[in-house]
Order: sequence, then C-alpha cells, then structure tokens
Amino acid sequence: MFKASINIDLLKDSIAALSVIVDEVRLKISSDGISVKAVDPANVAMVVFDLKSSAFENYEASDVEIGLDLIKITDILGIVERGSIVDLELDSESQKLNLFFDGLLYKLSLLDPSTIRADPRVPQLDLPAKVVLNGQDLRRAVKAAEKVSDHVTLGVENNAFYMQAKGDTDFVRLDMTANELIDLDAGDACSLFSIEYLLDIIKSAGKANEVTLSIGRDFPILIYFEIANAGGSVTFLLAPRIESD
Amino acid sequence: MSELCHKCKGKGLCGRAVCPVVSRFNGMKKVTEKLENRTFVFGASPPSVFVGSRTYPKLSAGPLVPPDIDIPDLKIGPSSEFLSNRIEKNPDFLENLKLWHDLSIEDVISIRSMMVRAKHTFMPSDAKTDNILLAKSQELALSAKPIDTEVLFKKPLSSDLNFDSTLMPMGPSGNMKDFKIAENPKVPRAVDYLVYDTDALASDVIVEMAGKNVSNEQISRLMSIGLLGRDRKLVPTRWSITAIDDISGKSLISEIKDYPQIREITLFSGNLFGNYFEILLLPGSFAFEMLEIWMPKAVWSGERTVIEQDHEDFYGKRGYSNLTGGYYAGRLPVLEYLKSIKRQAFAFVIREIRPEYYAPLGVWVVREAARTSIENPKKIFQTKSDALSDMEKRIITPRTEWEAATKLLNNRAVQMRLDSY
Repeated sequence: MFKASINIDLLKDSIAALSVIVDEVRLKISSDGISVKAVDPANVAMVVFDLKSSAFENYEASDVEIGLDLIKITDILGIVERGSIVDLELDSESQKLNLFFDGLLYKLSLLDPSTIRADPRVPQLDLPAKVVLNGQDLRRAVKAAEKVSDHVTLGVENNAFYMQAKGDTDFVRLDMTANELIDLDAGDACSLFSIEYLLDIIKSAGKANEVTLSIGRDFPILIYFEIANAGGSVTFLLAPRIESD
Repeated sequence: MSELCHKCKGKGLCGRAVCPVVSRFNGMKKVTEKLENRTFVFGASPPSVFVGSRTYPKLSAGPLVPPDIDIPDLKIGPSSEFLSNRIEKNPDFLENLKLWHDLSIEDVISIRSMMVRAKHTFMPSDAKTDNILLAKSQELALSAKPIDTEVLFKKPLSSDLNFDSTLMPMGPSGNMKDFKIAENPKVPRAVDYLVYDTDALASDVIVEMAGKNVSNEQISRLMSIGLLGRDRKLVPTRWSITAIDDISGKSLISEIKDYPQIREITLFSGNLFGNYFEILLLPGSFAFEMLEIWMPKAVWSGERTVIEQDHEDFYGKRGYSNLTGGYYAGRLPVLEYLKSIKRQAFAFVIREIRPEYYAPLGVWVVREAARTSIENPKKIFQTKSDALSDMEKRIITPRTEWEAATKLLNNRAVQMRLDSY
C-alpha cells in the first residue's frame, strides 16, 4: 500500500538525482519513507537516496517495492505546474502508479522490480578529508575543469580544497581556503575523477546550499547533500581513476 | 596542399572553383566522355539512388544507371575484360562493394564512373508527398537486385567526374525529364515490412534492418530516399551513410557494455586500397580510440604526415567526430566483432592511409578495410607492450609519432569500479 502527496519541485529534484545514475530504479517504500540504492552499468557511480515520510504533505505506506521508469516519469512531470502538489497512489492490482495533479490523472505503468538490477553493496569508506561547500561553487569548479580536460583532480592541500585539470595544452586550478568554504576537515586527499560523471552529478548537487565532499587518496569520492529541508538526503559515490603505468 | 585540404576533403572550403586534388583525376574523363551527347540512358541500375547535399535544403536526387555500353569499348585499360566478366557474373557488381576487394583503385573508379546520375530537385519534405519521380526512385531503392531502368534527360549529358571522401565516385549527371522502371523490384521481406512501418522511429528501423543483415548501403539508400521511419524526409546520401554507421554503432555499444571484458589482448591487421588497419582489443570497459595517419602523398595530405585522433569512453561520444564519417565507419566493424564474441573491450584502432590510396573512393573503404582486417587471423599477446611492438613493425610511420597522438592508449588513469572497494 502506498498513498502520498508531494510538492512537485521536490519530486522532480528527487527523480533528477536518481536519473543521474540510472534510467530505471527499484523504489523501496516503507512506512518511514522511500529509499533507493542504485549503481550505474559501469559500476563507477552510485546513488543512495532517502526521502523520509515527513518530507511529504501526506504519507501512508506499508512495505512494498516498485520499479520505476525514470525517463518516462521525468517526461510526465514536465507538464506539471510549478508549486503544484502531486498525489501518488499505488494500484498494486494493475501495477500502476496513479499520479494526480492539476486536475489530471495519469496512470503510469510500473516495471517489474525483478527486471531491474538488484541493490548494490554500498562500499564502506573511511575518507580522511571532508569539504563542505556551496553547490554553486562545486558546479563552477567542475564546469571550469570541463573546459580543458575529461578528468579532474579533487583534493585538499595546505588547509584548502583544490580542483585541478590538465588538458593537452591548457590547465585550470581552483583553490578554496577554509574561509571560502562552509567547513573543512583537512586530511590526505587527492583523487582523479571522470568529468563526464561529475557533470551529471552537479546538475543535481549544484542546486544544494550545502554539499559535503568526502575525499581520500586515490579513493572514491562521496558527495552528500540534503533535500526537502533535511527531509531527505542524496549521496553520490564515484569511483576514481587511478594513474598507473 | 594545406592543412585545410585535410579538413575539407573536396568540399570546396578553400574557395577555389575546382579542387586541385580532385582535378588530378581528370584523366579518368575518358570513360565519361563516351557518354556525352546522349539524352537517354537505358541499363540495369544495381540498384542505386543518390541524393546530393550541395544545395541543401534543395536536394538533387534520382537513380544511378549504368548505360548499356561494353566496357572494352571504353578502353579504360588492361582490366577491361576482367571487369566486364565480373559484371556479367554479378549483376549488382557496380554497387556491391563486397566484391571489389581485389580491384585496383582505378578499376573502382572505372566501374563507378559508368554510373550516370539522373537528377531532379526535391525538398526534404517531398518524401511525404506523392511526387511521381520520387515514388519511382523509391521503388527502385527497395529492390535488392538490379533493375532495368530507362532515363530521359532534358539535355545531353556532359562529362564530369566527382570525388568525395564519404561518397562513392560517380559518372556524369543530368536533369531528368522522366524515368521508367522496366521490371518489378525484388524487395527483401525484412525491407518490405520495415519500410511500410510508419509508426516506428527511423533509428529503430535502422537498428532492426542492420540486425537482419540488410547491408549498410541498402539502408542508406532507403533512408536517403525518404523511406524510413515515422517522420520521413529526403536525406543527402552523404549524411545518411554516416547516420547509419553511427545509429547501428550506438545500438551495438549499448549491448556490448553489458558483456564481460575480453580476456586476451587481441590484434587484427589488414589493408584495403592502401588503408592499412591495426585493431587492438585490450581488456577493459568499453572505449574506442582511432588514429588516422595520413602519409605524405596519400589522397588528402600534402608533403608531410598528418595524424588525427578521436576517441570515446564508456559514456559515449559528444558531438560529431573530427575524423568525420571515417570514425563511425571504422568503429562499426569493431563493434560487430565485439558483439559476435559477446565481450567488451578497449579498442584501439590505427588507420594508416598510404600513398597507394591516391583517390578517395568513399567512406565504405574504411568500413570494409576494418572488416577485412577483422576477418584476418587474430594474434594474441601476453602484454600490451608486446602487441604494440608487433604493430610497430607494420605501421610505416614511426611509433614515436603516432604514440604521441594517442589519448586513451597510454592514459595513465584507469577508471576504477565501486565494487572493488
């Protein structure tokens, strides 16, 4: 059983965050809220998503798992007016999710959850450095790196967070000292990442006021931010590229 | 010859009225002159249609018809007898490039310059109308076998031989008054039902046709003449060829990405018309890198070696390749091979264009050269450096030069996977 009402902007942001990683998801619905764990086909990026029942306008649910086609629902949500409330109701009989908004009823066919890749194991990472910054600043750093290269180094050095990217001919570097950041836990951190993934991730993380990056040396990065006034959270994990010869 | 010639490949970017590279081949005019002053041509179209892009969005489209003249009469050289024998045995010889592997470049130009191009001006959206000349061209394009065709021209044909990097060479052209198909086209089943599917997207139809072994040439023919998909349009032949290489390729890539990684370091090599290929498959997640080495005196290069590079990683390509259609044509056979062995790999491809490739024959040469290479026996190596040393022996250009141009091959950075933490 699942019946809830949610603000369209929050719903769109949630779907957008999941779409960064996959096209289809298994949503785990329980009385506490909705959670998703999904990894991309290359096993390079992962999303761990939680939306508590308190983030919804109304929420009533018992344990159930549904399969959602994210491309389709993104398309549908495109026609919802900003600020509207969307009523969601699961019709488990016909395996459809009823979306009701602005007087319109849309019956969305669901996917069989067993056809979607099972929940991945989330790696337990002990990352030495923690950087908290504004989503906009992260977006700017990634966009700048994109100009010159298809990968970027993120790290912490001399009590500052830095981004640097080397292209064939050009080079960019951004340094942000503790003063310019919201918070910094300095530690040994320097890892290289694919721009392609980060570009997708910042589309979602770039909107957040506070984004927490946990970085290690040649280790995956953890990108965490809250949504819905702490009513939910999104964590992206991205595997590094490692220099070898 | 300048850097520009490389980028332009005969499109006229330098502003000259006549491309100096292309004019080198004017000696070949002999063949086409034979056809001058004729206002009608009758012959078996292989079948072949052509849609020109030069005046886009106005398109000059119509059938290509080889006139009924004996090749020995044309006195095109010692291979006349051999060619006319071939044509007799294989009616579709003029369009079936699979049968051309043992020809010389001159032979290919000779047989293609027999193809008279009948033109009429259309707009892309004319595909949705029932223009009679277009309908007949479409009927012709559907056929899998040569089809007798008669074309009446408005004016006598003039001699003019075209060359292009994407398109096959063609003979003289003229504006057609009318044309007639003298027999019923033989339409393969897969083509028949997919062409009449007006609900499917063109890209889905292309993928399905490719899966049913409809040749790239026929799909391109159908696409250019406006017979594919939901929103039908006439598409210049030049664009349709690469569109199909890319669309078929993308669909193969999405399948390949789900396969396990190749275990053995595999190397293929081969050559077609001076397009020398080395195809190295390395264990890793899917990625593709291609180098084009234009040796001095090869078709578009000047006095020095020019090396161009392009690549894509697991997440695919953004935008159009700087290697133009050759990238997509060279990629396709590699993908077809990976699909056939159900493996993904990092594919590193070198195409060395040697001086023997003095006249451009069309992008099919790249596709066929890569296919030929993959059909050759494979070599297996223990290490990447062994494989590269082996490649070095056959590539004429020094390794230091081409290795410096690579981006993915010696990329220090290996993408890690989350499941290893």
